[in-house]
Amino acid sequence: MHSSPITKWEGAEAFFTFADKPGVVMFLFLLAVAVSVFAIVSIIKHENQSYRKLK
Amino acid sequence: MDVTELSAKVELLQAGLEAANKMNMEAFYWWCTALMIAIHAGFLAYEMGASRAKNALASGIKNALAFAFMVPTFYFIGWWIYLAFPGGFSIAEGSEAGLAWSLNMGPNLTDSASGVFWAAFALFAATTASIMSGSVIERMRISAFVILAIFLGSFVWILGASWGWNPAGWLTTKWGLHDIGAAGCVHMISGFFTLGVLINLGPRIGRFNPDGTANDLSGHNMPMSLIGLMLIVMGFFGFLGGCIIYTPDGWTTIYNTPVNLSAFAFNALMGVAGGMIGTYIATRDPFWMMSGALVGVISAASGLDVYYPAFAFVISFVGGLIIPRIHDVLVKLKIDDPVGAVSVHGFGGVWGVLSMGIFAAGYPNVEGPATSFGGQFMSMLVFAALGFFPGFISSYVLKSVRLLRVPHAAELAGLDICEIPIKAYPESHVPPSVHKTPPVAGTPPMGSGATART
Repeated sequence: MHSSPITKWEGAEAFFTFADKPGVVMFLFLLAVAVSVFAIVSIIKHENQSYRKLK
Repeated sequence: MDVTELSAKVELLQAGLEAANKMNMEAFYWWCTALMIAIHAGFLAYEMGASRAKNALASGIKNALAFAFMVPTFYFIGWWIYLAFPGGFSIAEGSEAGLAWSLNMGPNLTDSASGVFWAAFALFAATTASIMSGSVIERMRISAFVILAIFLGSFVWILGASWGWNPAGWLTTKWGLHDIGAAGCVHMISGFFTLGVLINLGPRIGRFNPDGTANDLSGHNMPMSLIGLMLIVMGFFGFLGGCIIYTPDGWTTIYNTPVNLSAFAFNALMGVAGGMIGTYIATRDPFWMMSGALVGVISAASGLDVYYPAFAFVISFVGGLIIPRIHDVLVKLKIDDPVGAVSVHGFGGVWGVLSMGIFAAGYPNVEGPATSFGGQFMSMLVFAALGFFPGFISSYVLKSVRLLRVPHAAELAGLDICEIPIKAYPESHVPPSVHKTPPVAGTPPMGSGATART
């Protein structure tokens, strides 16, 4: 997959692969936040299931 | 060699020097960050050892998850909070460099500083969560701990750091706060946040009798805890290194006042030693003696750049004598803090911040008034409140929606058997059916402390 945001190193400053447009940056940021929230919800579900099994 | 050739060489040398400075700065914070990971290895061992065997892995998993969640959440919001709020609650100009979608927050060949500073501060944040994690072992839900850890590490302490551990922080510019080793923003805020949480969480089952007397619920592996504490002490040298600013002109404190690593080396080591000896004299308990190393470094933290080393030793020795007594008072108040984090970090931080005001007033600040007892005292109150109230309120909310504490049945059975798919000591496991079988004459009794149920 050709995903490099630069074609030469001269003059290169910030380069975020897959995130060379503001909209894409924001989408990836929100995706990472969503993954973190999902992980916490998943922990809560796992705990509730474990406690139910114990009863 | 003519003048043109000479000036070209000078330019070349200057460019080389600038590049070397940048790389030295990056390398310094990179290795400080790596050393700080030892703090987490230490807390991991310490807290697993301080747990009964039935909860060992659950305590470990909490500690590991605190680290894992702190890194992304500190990236999402924490660094921006630090840059945004030195003035209080108004947003500072230039703070957008800390937003997660800023060009500074990723690979950028023109910015050598943001990544390494962010990393060091992310590790400070994870340390605050680790300070809390030992106090809540054996009865807090993993999910509740993760939520509280994120709130403490990526929101609360970093707001305190922006106010009081920042050259433009209002506690320094208005009151002259001097707290270079973060006794206030890291230790006090974490300790008082934990106190607020413990009030809502309540003690472990069996910790207190109806008449108020306390029972000893010893951890299953004190040697592991002691090694863990020594690892924390080692990691603190990365932590303290991260408290110093590397500039092309030399080292400065986080308040831009001049300092060198030698001052830190003298006083950090003398502080560690004073705290260890003080707690040993006060308790004769190796657990407290090693916690005393932390008490010592926290007691001397605010003035690591200015104390005479023998005096840092004395301040830390006194801290070592006092802190175990404060823990005793908390036990009398039925605060169940298995690792003493509230007294070691919370009240150790109080002693550290106040000591600077009592014994080292009058030092000039780059911005704001000189150091004073009044400034240190008022800043201490701010740190205590900034820690306690968010901790109390957030844990109260979790308690209200029944997300704070594990059910009694799970606490009695042990959190490992309930939540963790593997066993800490599989070869020591004794199936419940064995307990029902009458022992055969001549065979050693089965079951050990490792599988005991409280």
